[in-house]
Amino acid sequence: MVEIKHLTKYYGNKAAVKDISFTIKDNEILGFLGPNGAGKSTTLNIICGVIPSTSGTVTINGYDIENDPVKAKKCIGFLPEIPPVYTDMKVGEYLMFVAGLRGVPASERRSHIERVMRRLNIEDMSKRLIGNLSKGYRQRVGFAQALIGDPKIIILDEPTVGLDPSQLAEVRNLIMDLKRDHSVIFSSHILSEISAVCDRVVIINHGEIQAIDTIANLESSSGANTVLKIKVQGSSREVAKTASQVEGVIRVSNITFVKTGIYTYDVEIADKDVRQSLLSALLIKKLDVLEVSEERKSLEQIFVGMVNKPAGKKKSLQDLLDEMEDESEPSAAEEDSQESSDQENEEV
Amino acid sequence: MFSLYKKELQGYFLSPIAYVFIALVTLIFSGFFVWWIFTASSTQVEFQFSYFFYYNILLTTILLIPILTMRAFAEERKNGTEVLLLSSPLSVSKIVIAKFLAVATVLIIAMVISFIYPITAAIHGYVVIPNLIASYVGYLLYGLAYIALGLMVSSFVATPGLAMLLSVAVSLVLFFMELMLGSSFLASLPVLSDILYWFSNQAKFENFTQGFCQLSDLVCYITEIAVFLLWTIISIEKRRFSRS
Repeated sequence: MVEIKHLTKYYGNKAAVKDISFTIKDNEILGFLGPNGAGKSTTLNIICGVIPSTSGTVTINGYDIENDPVKAKKCIGFLPEIPPVYTDMKVGEYLMFVAGLRGVPASERRSHIERVMRRLNIEDMSKRLIGNLSKGYRQRVGFAQALIGDPKIIILDEPTVGLDPSQLAEVRNLIMDLKRDHSVIFSSHILSEISAVCDRVVIINHGEIQAIDTIANLESSSGANTVLKIKVQGSSREVAKTASQVEGVIRVSNITFVKTGIYTYDVEIADKDVRQSLLSALLIKKLDVLEVSEERKSLEQIFVGMVNKPAGKKKSLQDLLDEMEDESEPSAAEEDSQESSDQENEEV
Repeated sequence: MFSLYKKELQGYFLSPIAYVFIALVTLIFSGFFVWWIFTASSTQVEFQFSYFFYYNILLTTILLIPILTMRAFAEERKNGTEVLLLSSPLSVSKIVIAKFLAVATVLIIAMVISFIYPITAAIHGYVVIPNLIASYVGYLLYGLAYIALGLMVSSFVATPGLAMLLSVAVSLVLFFMELMLGSSFLASLPVLSDILYWFSNQAKFENFTQGFCQLSDLVCYITEIAVFLLWTIISIEKRRFSRS
């Protein structure tokens, strides 16, 4: 169990993390969600004892990370954003080294790393130089490193970045599998990953917690609506007008051009019954509906909404200045440009 | 701590660095050995410690030890593997000591190989054993002090190449300080030359080559090593507070 209380971290006079408190229960997968630069990595680094906090406490299985670092760190396996691997070592050698570092008794080391390698499907790689491995395999070696010594708590900082879709599914299964005997904290800026595996979600932005709850609760409490994606032939203005006049339609948004006369629309509706009346209204106007797809709860919107909310009370002039800088930049950052590298660099 | 030491030592021997280092130390030793034989004025071979070790240690510390120490912390930082060490149940001081001992082991191996020169000299001539032992003790301590210095510089920067250049620069500054010490200008400023003399590694090393193992010199070298290692620990701890 990890308890985080009133955690604050300042870099100079810029606050990276402000007064964060939450707990991770045993055998739980906690998703840590936030846009780039929200303070995710800073928080995880503080939990692992890599960097000290300005104030606040982190208690891991009853050991304080500041006062009892050796015992606390023994309970943690950490996979940072960049896998901490030595490129000039072989996979087997590297894992043996980590096992020694974590204090696995010398007689058990070999069988222990073999078990971990089997779990991650990297047994064939054990004689290969890490420097010659592909990114996906390096990531797995990093993963293996976090599992060595059977730590109770496993902390993964964006473990899915740079993996191909099949590897992604593997990582997801592995995380689900870890739940049996570990607690997992798993950070990401990609919502679908979090909602696929996590029991609870912590949403963080501007270094402050925006929400801590289960995904189901988040959906119901935020009053999120179903969003229909429809593809219609006809004038976009007419379609938008017709659709928004239907009772129960809350909003028509995101009109995108497909080809001449055909557009797609995101229609937010209060409940599923509205779909019928919406479609018939369009048909009456002789607007040809080509496609209706994706009836999804707009969890994405909860996230984007929370993230776009201006940060709370400002504590310093520097924060105000930073905010002004942020605003002058294009604001669509959260949606597609998340992967863009300059955003990545801002990540702490 | 032992596993980190082992890994570091393995790292030196898996890459060419340790071999190149040992080869160059041996080359310097043999170069001076041959030069000394050529210039010997009598047929009776006697091992001349002061010459032999004096230039030797200068070249080794200024040029070779930075090659060994440059990677220690700078590369960990560059590759992001520093996080692995910092999140492992090892304190920073243990990390520093493990790395220091690994480099020291490479130096000791090079020194053991260099025993062939006094042994060759002993077969064909005469070696003053107490002088030899004292010289090697001095050589080791002098070397260790510069290893500690190199580790400290390596912990300041994020690229191994820069760490090496800076270590060479610092060693050169110290070397020139020693050179100035012998100048008549500094001799005219007794207070300044006294102070510089306290910090002179060369002067203490000369005592060792004469066969004197003085407690004050030993303490001074050990203090120097301790100060540099402590500074390394502080620099890493300090960066933990400000890293982002």
